[in-house]
Amino acid sequence: MNETNETIDSATGTHSAAVDTHANDVIQPEHDVTRPGHWHRLRAGLSILFASRAAVVGLIIVLFWVSAAVLAPLLTPYTPLEQDWKAPNQGPSMAHPLGTDELGRDLWSRLIYGARVVLVILPISESVWLPGGTALWGVFVALVVGTTLGLVSGYFGGWLDEVVMRLLDAMMAVPIILLFLIIMAALGASAVNVVIAITIVGTPGIARLVRSLTLDIRTREYVRAAETRGENPFYIMFAEILPNARGPIIVDAMLRVGYAIFAMGTLGFLGLGLPPPSPDWGSMVAKGREFILEGSPWAALWPSVAIASLVVGLNLLADGLREESMRYQ
Amino acid sequence: MDSTDQFHPAVSDLKRQLQNGEISRRDFMRYATLLGVSTLAAGQMIGLLLPRKTLAADIRRGGTLKVSQQVQKIDHPARFSWLMPSNSMRMVFEYMTLTGPDNITRPYLCESWSASDDLKTWTFNVRRGVAFNNGDTLTADDCIFTINQWLNKDVKSSLLGLVGSYLDPGGIEKVDDYRFKLHLKRAEIAIPEHFFQYTAQVLSHRTFEGDMKKRPHGTGPFVLDTYNEGEICIVKARSNYWQKGFDGKPLPYIDEIRFIDMGGELAPQIAALKSGEIDLIDASDNPGPQIMKAVNRDAHVQVMPVATATTRVMRMRVDMKPWDDNRVRMALKLCQNREKILALAYQGEGIRGQDFHVYPKHPEYCSKPFPRYQPQRARKLLAEAGYPNGIEVNLAVGSEWTDIVRYAEVLKQDAAPAGIRVNIQTMPTSQYWEKWTEVDLGVTPWTHRPLGTMVPNLAYIADADGKPVPWNETRWVDPEFSDLLATASGTLDINARRNIFCELEEIQMTRGPIGIAYWMNTWMCSNKRLQNVAAHPNLVFLFNEAWLKS
Amino acid sequence: MGKFIVRRLVLLLLTMLLVSMAVFLITEASPGNVARNVLGAFVTPEQEASFLAQLGLDKPVWQRYVHWLFGSDWKAARKIGLRLKRLVTEKGFVEWWAIDESGRPVRWKLQGDDLVAELRQPDGKTVRKIDNRRWESDPQGGWSFWGVDNANHAVRWQKGTDRKVWTFIMGSGWKQSSGGPEEYLPLKKGFIRGDPGESLRTGRPVGDSLYVRLRNSLVLAGIAFVIVMPLALFLGLLAGLKEGSIRDRVLSVGGMMFSVIPEFATGIFLILIVAVWWQLVPGATVFGEKAPWERPDMLILPVLTLTLIELGYVLRITRASMVEVMRSPYIRTAYLKGLPYWRIITKHAVRNALMAPITVIMLHVNWLMGGIVIVEVVFGYPGLGKYLLDSALYKDINALEAGAMILVIVAVGTQLVADIIYTIINPRIRYT
Repeated sequence: MNETNETIDSATGTHSAAVDTHANDVIQPEHDVTRPGHWHRLRAGLSILFASRAAVVGLIIVLFWVSAAVLAPLLTPYTPLEQDWKAPNQGPSMAHPLGTDELGRDLWSRLIYGARVVLVILPISESVWLPGGTALWGVFVALVVGTTLGLVSGYFGGWLDEVVMRLLDAMMAVPIILLFLIIMAALGASAVNVVIAITIVGTPGIARLVRSLTLDIRTREYVRAAETRGENPFYIMFAEILPNARGPIIVDAMLRVGYAIFAMGTLGFLGLGLPPPSPDWGSMVAKGREFILEGSPWAALWPSVAIASLVVGLNLLADGLREESMRYQ
Repeated sequence: MDSTDQFHPAVSDLKRQLQNGEISRRDFMRYATLLGVSTLAAGQMIGLLLPRKTLAADIRRGGTLKVSQQVQKIDHPARFSWLMPSNSMRMVFEYMTLTGPDNITRPYLCESWSASDDLKTWTFNVRRGVAFNNGDTLTADDCIFTINQWLNKDVKSSLLGLVGSYLDPGGIEKVDDYRFKLHLKRAEIAIPEHFFQYTAQVLSHRTFEGDMKKRPHGTGPFVLDTYNEGEICIVKARSNYWQKGFDGKPLPYIDEIRFIDMGGELAPQIAALKSGEIDLIDASDNPGPQIMKAVNRDAHVQVMPVATATTRVMRMRVDMKPWDDNRVRMALKLCQNREKILALAYQGEGIRGQDFHVYPKHPEYCSKPFPRYQPQRARKLLAEAGYPNGIEVNLAVGSEWTDIVRYAEVLKQDAAPAGIRVNIQTMPTSQYWEKWTEVDLGVTPWTHRPLGTMVPNLAYIADADGKPVPWNETRWVDPEFSDLLATASGTLDINARRNIFCELEEIQMTRGPIGIAYWMNTWMCSNKRLQNVAAHPNLVFLFNEAWLKS
Repeated sequence: MGKFIVRRLVLLLLTMLLVSMAVFLITEASPGNVARNVLGAFVTPEQEASFLAQLGLDKPVWQRYVHWLFGSDWKAARKIGLRLKRLVTEKGFVEWWAIDESGRPVRWKLQGDDLVAELRQPDGKTVRKIDNRRWESDPQGGWSFWGVDNANHAVRWQKGTDRKVWTFIMGSGWKQSSGGPEEYLPLKKGFIRGDPGESLRTGRPVGDSLYVRLRNSLVLAGIAFVIVMPLALFLGLLAGLKEGSIRDRVLSVGGMMFSVIPEFATGIFLILIVAVWWQLVPGATVFGEKAPWERPDMLILPVLTLTLIELGYVLRITRASMVEVMRSPYIRTAYLKGLPYWRIITKHAVRNALMAPITVIMLHVNWLMGGIVIVEVVFGYPGLGKYLLDSALYKDINALEAGAMILVIVAVGTQLVADIIYTIINPRIRYT
């Protein structure tokens, strides 16, 4: 397989994400040879961010949801589980700004506690939870697995590369929804299993992206130099190649978080999301849907809007970052 | 019609009870017909009019009825898993009896029957002049063949558990071509009802070979034209059906019925009903208020309500911890805020339940007070049972039964003050059915049955070896309860039976394995052009005399 | 080029093999039980076991995979010692028959202790005769026989065992006999011989259902494709023409908004607004046995939903590509040469800008299939996606495998087409 073919492969490498628009222009590893200090890097990053209006709008939307999630208990007098059996399926009112769901629970409260599940906490069981949202954990684990596979495959090449890539190709040839479905049907509905499903679905795309970046970077002088120094291959992969590939990976990861939120919604819709009474957006839509034709669309409307807005925010942020960083170079 | 001596001796007792106001007219109808009195005769005895007939002049022949129904895999009617396939096939195949929308069981392919005094020998007379759609005449052989199919282990019919518990193959006796006798192992009053179980369609002993699609030879008003699983089933009217319409010509009035598979999702089906693309949704396997609520203000749609004994049973495995302790079971039962559950889970469209599996409109129902929501008493009971810090339990529910999920969510909320922490475990409904008898705590749907003895005989007793019967999902076997139930099953006198039921209900309420929070109303919602139909508590389709307005 | 295509086709087969094995294994590992799904909740363990045996589901997973892939008739023919034949009857039922020594199709059934042969006459009717000569004595002291039954299994019947069973024979009533069917081998030709088997859920040959479903899905996807593509490409080019302009912002953000509202929400709200409130078009698809194109009004909402989801995606790819082209040196050169603006756009920019989207769109077909699953569920559309969804939930392995294989062919096939198109519009690329 020659280099030209690689370009094609890398184009296919990231097409799987729903909202990913960078299929052919992402392969731009950073030429970060000078390695400035942390503070300098942060400032450079922020200036890129603020240079793009799209990125700023995206950031505002994302920050809105993150702060709503973190501050949820302060933003509403209700808990997301409090039922009012005299007032189910109500429209917006003074008492309930967004209305109530089928059990008389406050929709605004459920919405912002739902943002927690996505962005801030990973509920392991009723009482145990990990920091970092379900979508974030899914993408993070996929990043770890996918990056490792991509680095190893791209750096070593040969039969190892061939085998890994063929397996990942096979995984990517299965429609994502089917893959999700088979996995969730096999594992059962829980937050941890949603993380596992997002990981399995996300890994091939990330591995492909990282592999094509690795193929490019490993021909650079500093990698050659490290090889001549006789460094451990894993040191080269993780300390030399990976840091220089991080830009596209971060942008890709942001889009993937958006996709993971979308996927959680779809799973909830199919009845394979987080178990009730968790205020999971997808499950909220799925349950509220039953009442739309009865004349109470609110319970399904708000979480749909929430999913859409958060994904738009992440997309804008990622797009803006990518465009500005390209211009920066 | 004063001379009742041609009837079963108990009929005159019934008449006396009716006159003294001890039983209702409905009960009288039910028991008189049960004892072989024809509906007509029984109706005349009490001066009760038969169901109103539409004016003959209105009736129009012809037209195609379109029904939304999942066209499932079928081969043997005795093996139907769900009501739905029986609804399309009951156009082609018929039953020996008919339990009407009023819960009264009437003669059908068997034109009359009689029971011995001890209710252990039943004689059935097969209707003459009924022909299968391939031209064969219906005889007692066909009925015997059909019953034998139920009892044949290789057929794997769910009727084996029901009928097999009181009838052996050797107990079937053919008297002549139009008469057969059943010699039972024990007294049973519900045989006519069992003959109308959805799996009890009568087959041709000459041509049936295990797959009803290949030789769809039934006695029904329609013939099977097409059966494409997952797509469509078409039945077309036959010309020589045994029942006659108002004009003296054979029924049915409708030319053709098309059952179209639109999947299980309700929204597209409701949209299609509202736009007139379909005339009716088959909701028999998932009754709920969603369809009714969405169409009840629609000018093209008529909504026919019916109260049923269909319910959601919160069942606890008494052979597993912590439910082996009645105090724990009682504690969870006390956590049901019935009014709230009914209002939120089923949108208030039903009546409250009382933790025993007898429904207020069952003839043998004995009135009991409604248990109240008492979390503090529940907490005390838990402490007495050795759980002063409360317990954590997993509640299994099928996610497609959305009312059950809501029931579980309300229960979780209301059980918390009592110290019971409920984890709701949702699973696709098909997965729930895989383990419904195995989970320690779950909510199982139980369908309407017309008599109070029927469900307890299926679900709360042991077999002859003392092992809980197959559908006893709670493993709860109480000797006193079982004995009383056996007595009740062999007691014809309705007041005596109700007295036994007072005790049965008390036992199940105070030490039983189940919570029943509500009984569900259901609705048949059809396009207004469908005439002369009524909602059946099981939502079965009885369309022999239905017709379509143009 | 030829070599490249052959290589890719080999890879396609390899991918299919891998995917089929993976689907088999995952389905195997997932909880759930076909017997309960098919027979209903109220089966007893014995009934369940016998059902699983009849479907061949009591066999180890590798054996079932081999039967699925290569068929089982060759194995059964060896056991029976006769040739087997697959017939399709006039009514469309698939039947397996053994061909006896004189060349006639024959099947058997057990009546009490008697083996009864059913001989199929040329006119399709059957003649029965007692055929006890085929019993062979087995080491346990009983008698056994491998034959074909009337439900398309190869069956090993036994008699003279300790097992006493009651069987019902019409005409003579219940009889006690000493054996029965002991082992089943469901007959099928196998996937690579063109027989995807019978759906466990519906009992219908998978091929029959799949054909209609695939056709319906292709119609839906095709119409959506034909509407989305020109529109998206045009709007994308328009947006990319002047990066950062109001037009660009409105189009790209608007496109993105619609593409990230989950399709289940879009679909149900469209039903509510367009079909229920305004009553403009039907809110559901009811075809019966009609083809989708006979009711185009019912396709409007599903296609609209798909369009909203897909439009934004393609639009943004096209826009990105156009933006890149407009920044490139040769466009600047063209400006400097003083060529008229619209000539530069139509002659130089558009052609180059369309290159990337076209290939990416082909690769996107896989994702389109995913969107279709949800749209089909929401509108009750009888397509492939819904069929697969139901099959996955029911562990209907034959249907699932066949559907997955089709999707893999579609996904990998469109990739191949994309690569070929790429070489045509960009001749600098050569595949070896």
